Amino acid sequence: MAETAITEDSVRAALTERLKATHVEIQDMSGGCGQAFTSLIVSPEFAGKNSLKRHRLVNAALKVEIAQIHAWSAKCQTPEEYDKEMAATGGNDKPPMDGTEGGKVTGVNE
Amino acid sequence: MSDVKEITSVEGWEEHVSSLPPSTLLIVSFHAPWAAPCAQMATVLSTLASEYPVTEPPATSWVKINAEDLSDISEAYNVTAVPFLVLIRNGEVLETVSGSSAVRVRNAIESHASKTGAGAAAANGPVTTAGGDEGEVATEEDPEKKKQELFRRLGDLVKAAPVMLFMKGTPSEPKCGFSRQLVGVLRDNAVKYGFFNILADDEVRQGLKEFADWPTFPQLWVDGELVGGLDIVKEELDSNADFLKPYSVKANGDVSAAAS
Repeated sequence: MAETAITEDSVRAALTERLKATHVEIQDMSGGCGQAFTSLIVSPEFAGKNSLKRHRLVNAALKVEIAQIHAWSAKCQTPEEYDKEMAATGGNDKPPMDGTEGGKVTGVNE
Repeated sequence: MSDVKEITSVEGWEEHVSSLPPSTLLIVSFHAPWAAPCAQMATVLSTLASEYPVTEPPATSWVKINAEDLSDISEAYNVTAVPFLVLIRNGEVLETVSGSSAVRVRNAIESHASKTGAGAAAANGPVTTAGGDEGEVATEEDPEKKKQELFRRLGDLVKAAPVMLFMKGTPSEPKCGFSRQLVGVLRDNAVKYGFFNILADDEVRQGLKEFADWPTFPQLWVDGELVGGLDIVKEELDSNADFLKPYSVKANGDVSAAAS
């Protein structure tokens, strides 16, 4: 099992390589501990898949990483969906922050 | 499939007990409506009960008693904390289980009930098990068998209600931000759901991750299938605002097993 620390960069690299992601945004929501991340992942591989299937694809791609952290959230969009939402929100398509309080997760150490 | 009947008076209790044949295993659950672990135990018990067909004579009888309302009965059985389970056959207390471990409760009930419970051949007359008759019962020693057992239980648990939320904490006291938000989403959509506090049962907590092939909690299950966590539920609602409509309660907000 790789002992490399989980960082925003390492997750981004993994997703780009394993899922052919065209755009990845990762945010650490553990206050810098590298223990909880939320992400926005844009990849053509999501086309034709429902929400659960997309997340399962991501979970499989990040199996090793997710097993080591306490919390993980993702928003999975195809390039078309991403462009559409960016246009609709004036450039405001971001990783989901639901479940956090003040940008940090709570209660994940139980 | 059996239901759990609520006993509401001492007379009702005495009448019920005297009506049972000596072979019936009487499963009594003592609860208090204000105690969140009791709501969870109610879900566990009704799931279990549904696996036992109603036979003639009845192999099992399932009742629940409000421990505070019927304090005479609770005192008679030394009920000092809830939830509390008492297993009785022919007037004799076989075993009691105090606390909210779904695993202990299930093990106790299964070890005393006839194993012909879930849909197999009908019971062959009175069961003379005096506890510990493990002869025909599948042994729990074998880890592979144990896992199959666990998965079977989980398969039932995820179907305990049309909408099931496996969360950290309870709807009235969520223990993590994601669980709290998901409870909020369900409340906003007036969804009627059952819940399970995975912090209270480590076997379910770890087992469900493997069973569902899903690494995190909370988990929302609908009609026995995994929907996902908070992020997915919100995505589903974004793309279809009526996603949870079939499961909502129209009337005045009786939304979950435990009031918030």
